[in-house]
Amino acid sequence: MISSPLSTDVLFHIGPIPVSDPVVVTWGIMAVMTLGLWLATRRLTIKAGPVQAVLEMIVEVIDGQIRESMQVDPAPYRTLIGTLFLFIFIANWSSLIPGVEPPTAHIETDAALAALVGGATLYFGIRVRGLGGYLKTFAEPSWVMIPLNIIEQITRTFSLIVRLFGNVMSGVFVIGIVLSLAGLLVPIPLMALDLLTGAVQAYIFAILATVFLGSAVSGEEGGKPEPQPPQKED
Amino acid sequence: MDILPAISIIAAALAVGFGAIGPALAEGRAVAAAMDAIARQPESAGTLSRTLFVGLAMIETMAIYCLVIALLVLFANPFVK
Amino acid sequence: MHIDWWTLGLQALNVGVLLWIFSRFLFRPVADIVRKRQEAADAVLAQAEASRTAALAHEAEVQVNADRLSAERGRVMADAEAQARATAEAILSDANRDAARIRADAEVATVALKEAEMTRLATQASRLSLEITRKLLARLPYELLVSGFIDGLSEAVAHLPEETRAGMGNPDQPLILTAARPLTDAERQTCQDVLERILGRSVTLTTETDPSLLAGLELEAPHALVRNSFRADLERIEARLIHHD
Repeated sequence: MISSPLSTDVLFHIGPIPVSDPVVVTWGIMAVMTLGLWLATRRLTIKAGPVQAVLEMIVEVIDGQIRESMQVDPAPYRTLIGTLFLFIFIANWSSLIPGVEPPTAHIETDAALAALVGGATLYFGIRVRGLGGYLKTFAEPSWVMIPLNIIEQITRTFSLIVRLFGNVMSGVFVIGIVLSLAGLLVPIPLMALDLLTGAVQAYIFAILATVFLGSAVSGEEGGKPEPQPPQKED
Repeated sequence: MDILPAISIIAAALAVGFGAIGPALAEGRAVAAAMDAIARQPESAGTLSRTLFVGLAMIETMAIYCLVIALLVLFANPFVK
Repeated sequence: MHIDWWTLGLQALNVGVLLWIFSRFLFRPVADIVRKRQEAADAVLAQAEASRTAALAHEAEVQVNADRLSAERGRVMADAEAQARATAEAILSDANRDAARIRADAEVATVALKEAEMTRLATQASRLSLEITRKLLARLPYELLVSGFIDGLSEAVAHLPEETRAGMGNPDQPLILTAARPLTDAERQTCQDVLERILGRSVTLTTETDPSLLAGLELEAPHALVRNSFRADLERIEARLIHHD
């Protein structure tokens, strides 16, 4: 009987706080990111080198996606969306390192990310439209829709969590099963598929977060219909 | 032999099996439509395939949900003590 | 399934820290450098625009200068042309005037030459005729050289004014009778008779000979001269012929 993929292993305790596996991996990612980005962006010049060109291209692609989805200036949302995408991407691909389990394969990390998206939606919605204006979007198109809108806010956050968690976790789980059954080279195609899934899921998570933010700050679409039709199927 | 684990295993298998049918059909239709569109407009193949991948991931999420349910039934069944 | 709340909290904290890390080490520097590059590009563009404006201004200035030079050149050329035309006209008119003058001079000279030539020819012809006359006269009879002229002499003396005639023939002022050949006594007597008849008193007469008279008699008094000879006639004819008046 293989171990449950849903459980989290506590590695050690700092005082009373139990520190689990995904937290440690996240710390490692944070450390590597900090060091790498510090080295990369320490000396930025107007004449871009290769590394700087890659970084600028990443930022511009993120800006372009935000602008395309929200039709607004991407500057306020660049950090949030970019961080979501890059962290989920790196976390998903961290399974390339042997012995490392992606932190996104644990529901706590996904819940934290989705909570960040929900909080940002609330924050930007209130900041742009005011508290009254933002609350009024729940009563669109009529007050009958208020419960449904509230439920929708909750369910789409849960769908964010479960989509990311399910995809990454199932990838890890399937690879674990195949590895326990068939040895050496067989899991490689599945790992490649897992990497593709991880990249696509990172993109989808970031795009959905952008759409949520966009509907919160520029929700002239009428509030009820989701801008992203697949979202309704979740 | 308790009956609950057996029912849980059967339920998990049914969930994954039936849950895979819908997404499988949907993915087939999506890929067929994308192929059709690419055949009509080869110049927009890049945009179409990117959108196709995103859509496939979305559809696949359905099957993933079923898998999650199955795993929950198997490993985190609240009725099995 | 159970959710580890400690892990959830720690992950939420980690996500917040990640936000800060990405913002601090990736997005803000890159956005800054992109903005700086944009500003630099704007500056370069502005500079290029300024340069272009300056170049355009310079070009306009050059164009103005060129126009001015062109106008000036046109003016100078027009001036030169006008001057040249004036000079040419002056030269032409001078030349015309000179030519006209020369032509007039030439015509005058030609006329003069022609007249001179004609005069000379006429003179020559007159002289020739006179010479012929002299030659012919030389063949006249010997007596006739004097006798034929006595009547003429008397007539000429008779036509002289009274006071002139009064002074003629005084003994202290003898009349000189010049003949072409030595007079014979009879001829001399005849002449004296005729003169005395005309003058009404006796005259003293001396005779002289001058072959150049050809034929005839000339009477010379202190106040009068009666020329009654072929020479005098011929001289008169000659003068009239040659002087054409």
